[in-house]
Amino acid sequence: MMLIPCPWCGPRDAAEFAYLGEPAPRPDPTAASPEQWRGYLYLRHNVAGPGTERWYHRMGCRRHLLVERDTTTNEVRPHRSHVGDES
Amino acid sequence: MDDTTPVARSAISPAPPEIVVACWAVSGRRSTGALTLTDASPLAKVAVRADPDGELAQALGVRFGRTSRRTDALDSVGTDVLVVGSGPGEWLALGAPGRQLALTEQLRGLLERRGRVSGAASAELVTVVDLTHGRALMRLTGPAAAELLGRECAVDLTDAACPDGSALRTAVAGLATDVIRDDWDGTSSYLLHCERSSGQYLFDSLLDAGTELGVDVDGFTTPSARDERRTMYDF
Repeated sequence: MMLIPCPWCGPRDAAEFAYLGEPAPRPDPTAASPEQWRGYLYLRHNVAGPGTERWYHRMGCRRHLLVERDTTTNEVRPHRSHVGDES
Repeated sequence: MDDTTPVARSAISPAPPEIVVACWAVSGRRSTGALTLTDASPLAKVAVRADPDGELAQALGVRFGRTSRRTDALDSVGTDVLVVGSGPGEWLALGAPGRQLALTEQLRGLLERRGRVSGAASAELVTVVDLTHGRALMRLTGPAAAELLGRECAVDLTDAACPDGSALRTAVAGLATDVIRDDWDGTSSYLLHCERSSGQYLFDSLLDAGTELGVDVDGFTTPSARDERRTMYDF
């Protein structure tokens, strides 16, 4: 079982969450080229190692959160933006 | 229409014999078992969403993950209301059967008394929704309640992590469920609140998982009847 550290609910089973992938900035829809949109929609870095991911706690507090996960070991840590939050 | 005419049904089929309590068709079964499961869906359920740091949050006085039983400002009749901090900026108010409209009005009154009348420029965005007939609610009571619940969800339910008066939303039998620890006379008891369409499944799952623990179905009674029986059903 993989535990995801939710800043609101504490560590919970990953099955309670929806995986939303790597956070990427949304291009400006009025100025972005088709190549930029394609990259935003379909291309991921898919690093082997630590990276930042967005998850959604769909069966808990229904909040989006960021975590840092090492994709080779599944070690999960709270994202620096959530460190010190409640729970 | 008198109180013996059924006008509402829970999502959970009542175990025979079927009786009518507060206009709800419920099970009249009476159990003396140590571990009981009761369909408590007739209780009034009102959902509130507001700014977690706003006026209404202060008036309710219940933070996320905790519960508060109150008889004062929320219910002018004086019946018990259990206010649950069910999520960040989300609350669930549980009251006696038939009190949902009164509860809704009382919650609105809480805001108005604080000067946050709807339509004012400084009004806080608040939603108050009656969920009574749209949700299922059941109560699991007994010394082995945590053991049974632990078979269906992956949350630490020990007294240290989930004491009386705590609330959390998690997956129970694969369903998003509000788990509310609400002990009665020192006996462990949990309220489980989920979507109406999932109610029968959750009820059956708990009965199945608790077979070897001797879980038994117990019927619903009103709060006043509870005091006479000295057993645990709703409030």
